[in-house]
Amino acid sequence: MIRTSNIAAVALATAMLALGAVTADAKQKVKVGFIGPLTGGVSVNGIGGRNSADVAVKLRNADPKAKYEYEMTVLDDECKPNVAVQVATKMAADKDVIAAATHYCSAAAIAAVDVYHKFGLPVIVWGAVLPDITYRNKYAEVHRVNGTMINQNDTNAELISSLGFKTVAVIHDTTDYGKGHNEYFSKALAKIGKAKIVGTFGVTADQQDFTAELTKIKELKPDVIYFGGLTPIGVRIRSQMDKLGIKAVFDGTSGIVSDAYIQGLGPLAEGTLAFREGAPTAKLPGGKFFMEKYNEQKYDNPPEAYGAFAYAAMNLILDTIENVGPDRKKVVAALGNVKDRDSIVGKISFDDHGQNTVAVITKYVVQDGKFVEWQDSEYASGKRKLPGQK
Amino acid sequence: MDAGLLAQYVMNGLMLGMMYALVAVGFTLFFGVLDVIQFSHGDVLTVGAFAALAGFVGLNALGVSSPWLELAIILTLAVAAMALLGALIARYLVMPLRSAPPLNTLLITLMLGTVLREGVRLFYPQGANPKPFPALLPRSSFVFGDFNLRLDNVLMLATGVLVIVGLQFLLNRTKLGLAIRAVAQDEETARTMGINFTAIVLITFALGSGLAAYAGVMNGLYYNEINFGMGLYLGVIGFSAAIIGGLGSIYGAILGGFLFAGLQTIGTVMLPFASAYKDVFAFAVVIAIMAWRPTGLIREKISERV
Amino acid sequence: MAGNNSNAARAGLWPGFAAIALTTCYLAVLLAAEEQNVIIALLVLGIVIVVGAAWFGLFEGVNRSFAEREDAMGIFAIVALVALAAVFHEAHFVLLLVLTVMLYSVATLGLNIQFGYAGVLNFAGASFFGIGAYTSAVLNTHTAVPHLIVLLIGGLLAALIGSLLLLPVLRTRGHYAAVVTIAFALLFKTFLEVNDVLGGPQGMQVPSMKVFGWSFNDNIDIGDITLSFYLNYFVVSLLLLIAAFALVRRLERSWIGLNLDALRLDETAASCFGLNIARWKITAFLIGNFLIGIAGALFGMVGGFVGPNNYTFADSLILVSILLLGGIGNPWGLVVATFIVVVVPEKLQTIQEYRFLLYAVMVIAVLLFRPEGLLPRPVRRYFPGWRP
Repeated sequence: MIRTSNIAAVALATAMLALGAVTADAKQKVKVGFIGPLTGGVSVNGIGGRNSADVAVKLRNADPKAKYEYEMTVLDDECKPNVAVQVATKMAADKDVIAAATHYCSAAAIAAVDVYHKFGLPVIVWGAVLPDITYRNKYAEVHRVNGTMINQNDTNAELISSLGFKTVAVIHDTTDYGKGHNEYFSKALAKIGKAKIVGTFGVTADQQDFTAELTKIKELKPDVIYFGGLTPIGVRIRSQMDKLGIKAVFDGTSGIVSDAYIQGLGPLAEGTLAFREGAPTAKLPGGKFFMEKYNEQKYDNPPEAYGAFAYAAMNLILDTIENVGPDRKKVVAALGNVKDRDSIVGKISFDDHGQNTVAVITKYVVQDGKFVEWQDSEYASGKRKLPGQK
Repeated sequence: MDAGLLAQYVMNGLMLGMMYALVAVGFTLFFGVLDVIQFSHGDVLTVGAFAALAGFVGLNALGVSSPWLELAIILTLAVAAMALLGALIARYLVMPLRSAPPLNTLLITLMLGTVLREGVRLFYPQGANPKPFPALLPRSSFVFGDFNLRLDNVLMLATGVLVIVGLQFLLNRTKLGLAIRAVAQDEETARTMGINFTAIVLITFALGSGLAAYAGVMNGLYYNEINFGMGLYLGVIGFSAAIIGGLGSIYGAILGGFLFAGLQTIGTVMLPFASAYKDVFAFAVVIAIMAWRPTGLIREKISERV
Repeated sequence: MAGNNSNAARAGLWPGFAAIALTTCYLAVLLAAEEQNVIIALLVLGIVIVVGAAWFGLFEGVNRSFAEREDAMGIFAIVALVALAAVFHEAHFVLLLVLTVMLYSVATLGLNIQFGYAGVLNFAGASFFGIGAYTSAVLNTHTAVPHLIVLLIGGLLAALIGSLLLLPVLRTRGHYAAVVTIAFALLFKTFLEVNDVLGGPQGMQVPSMKVFGWSFNDNIDIGDITLSFYLNYFVVSLLLLIAAFALVRRLERSWIGLNLDALRLDETAASCFGLNIARWKITAFLIGNFLIGIAGALFGMVGGFVGPNNYTFADSLILVSILLLGGIGNPWGLVVATFIVVVVPEKLQTIQEYRFLLYAVMVIAVLLFRPEGLLPRPVRRYFPGWRP
């Protein structure tokens, strides 16, 4: 006869087994972080980066072979150094976050690196180009997958000199980012020696009115105006240049490689030069794969210029955690040994300062409302001419 | 520096001065009538500019394409909307606090300014980013050597002067203006004389806010861009200009506006870092002027001394 | 009159104790909560309890305890704060929040002296806070001045610059002083941004505090327990808060406070009575700025970073809103308001973006409907033990 107590015992045992099975299958949750400018003038880049990192996390979570289940915490640094320090402190102080992909804005990143070191949080920078971020201190926690602005500015100076332009006026923003661009561009131009800088003007990152600087520049009559800064003020300067009737080439950096620049200027953007390290997303080794997976998720924004790097950074983080486990110190140690690691942006190797080398520099010119590669453009072939080009 | 460049600087200064003067006149009107410093004036300017932009987007959707027509419509729209907003502010936020310490009114307008600014930033689509403002005025320019005289700047300057002259006419030659001046001078007596105090206050606020909207649209046309923080900056400068000129005097406000612009331009030309120090210089001079003549360059007609 | 109420005697300690204990427990739970739903539920619960308690008149007893047995309340509050820190001894970010509240409270107490007691408007509170912070940045980086002295220097510098600013406009009416402080607030931020010596827009790093060789930036390990390094700063901040609070209370009750009140309520009458308006306004401004400067210097060291964007006009407005919300002139109200203004947006991430808007709306509501603030300043008590 089956006694009630037996049934109860069997039921209980089954329930416990089921529960055990469920919990045994549930993976341990691991938190990873992402910081970027989600609001403000450069938000499209931050959001693109965030979406890209999100793709990496989603793909990993869908992979049955993954040991852990990942959750991405996102914080907004607003492209401001003080906010960056606050959110970096918040993320680093949270013991559950094991590692993070951080920062598009150099001004934000350089302010926050000390915080990461203080709390021992391993981070991989995905979009900020200031060399000091990895080279000012030797922090084991800080790494970077994208290149620095040095190569960008070397190529920039080369192109300007080879096109026969003789005089350059420099406008740069007064954050470390703009100052860095000014420094490296000036050095590169001086080394080549064919063109010279006739004036250097520092402007604040949220400046509205540039008539003062531009009127002085008009007096100097340069062939090229070099701009070391980000899209919002790039748009303003270019538009006010036109108002004052200045006909020089507008030469920018990776800071203006963004759809927002073209949208802000319309036809005035035509003929703007810009440079960026890394090949255009479509031409990267893993570019097609990345774009496919990105488009599957149907985000509202494109990945923008540095989305692929954000994906690569997050992927590297996830790989490392899979290998050594969710422990900050172990991840820091593992990231110190990254050599020739495959990724969608090519092979990643961190030098002794945690910096990856990105060899390719892409030259862009705005043609018909799009950033077109220089060698493919009608400016290179001579069909169209930049202002003042012979 | 040659004449062409000098002319360019002068032109820049005049444009800025005109915009500051328009804002300063608004401050002076409010102070004159209600003894209140309306700190949200600058942010009303921002809302006006954004209203104009929204109007433009709407008109585009409707298929209107003539720039003059669009300009006329969005200008009217912005001015009317801000006049309404100004009247509402007066009715619901400023007048109830008349019996409270003046500090409370100051604070409430400051906070209202923040509400307006944050409201634009948060609720206008992509409000946090600077937005391109359509160039609705003709873009041709006359080139005299180094001096690039743009037609749209000339137009804006001319219409600005007309607006100010019109305002003077309104205040000095019409019955409404008489009523406003009466209320500004002595509220009780004005009421005894049969002037509807509330109506006059609302009208004055509407007038000042409409002026702000005009200044906002002008600003948008000049820079081809508007952003949610533009009002704060312009508001503070307009306010300082009104103070320098002497709160309560229209001429003083206009003088103050152009003076401030002049200071900024001089700062730009003389100081090494161009724009960087121009604000520091201008504000430092404002503080110095306040130390020397606290009630403004054009004396207040009454003073209280113990 | 005084002294004849021996049986209706001293207000009980218990209502006050209970209020402080409950508040601390509530705060501990709120600070520990992570999920947004839990936090929203807690906040709603909090509001319901407060409104309900007010409805049932439970606040009467609490008010009396605070009014009459303030010293005991103060000691208990200190104990509660220390307990809170002990509960969170490992949670860095929670401790940082608590530190922020404490130091903002000190700054607002300074603002309270200027505005609540003397009626001098200061719209550059964040700028003076910044003066203190930059002082600690510069002195810590370039000199070997002992860090406790750096705090004092920060305060003194803020006081000095403040008095220089105010001197010219003393003879004029209220709003001109406001204008000068507004102009200064804007000037200060622009000046910092363009000035490369002080780091420009990038700001400066602040080396951590070291007192007698004990570095404040290392975690303390006692056996198995790791104590967050923020606890070091907590001790110093607590001492500072106690000192500031005591100062403000004593000042209010002293003859200086009486003079300041007279000055605020009616300048004309006060000067008829022989009070030198200019002198007392400057004194209040000086003392207030001194507190703000010290708080700023300490906060700079806590955060390890100073930059122009931290000390803008908007931040000064936040300090002013705390003052208004908490009840002008009431130190306890200030601390409560600071908690609300600092902690709630941090925890409630969804409203982080809206926080400026919400503060402004709250202040407008307060100004329209309850100008005395959440915890209005009680009537001055001229005689000990006197009950109105």
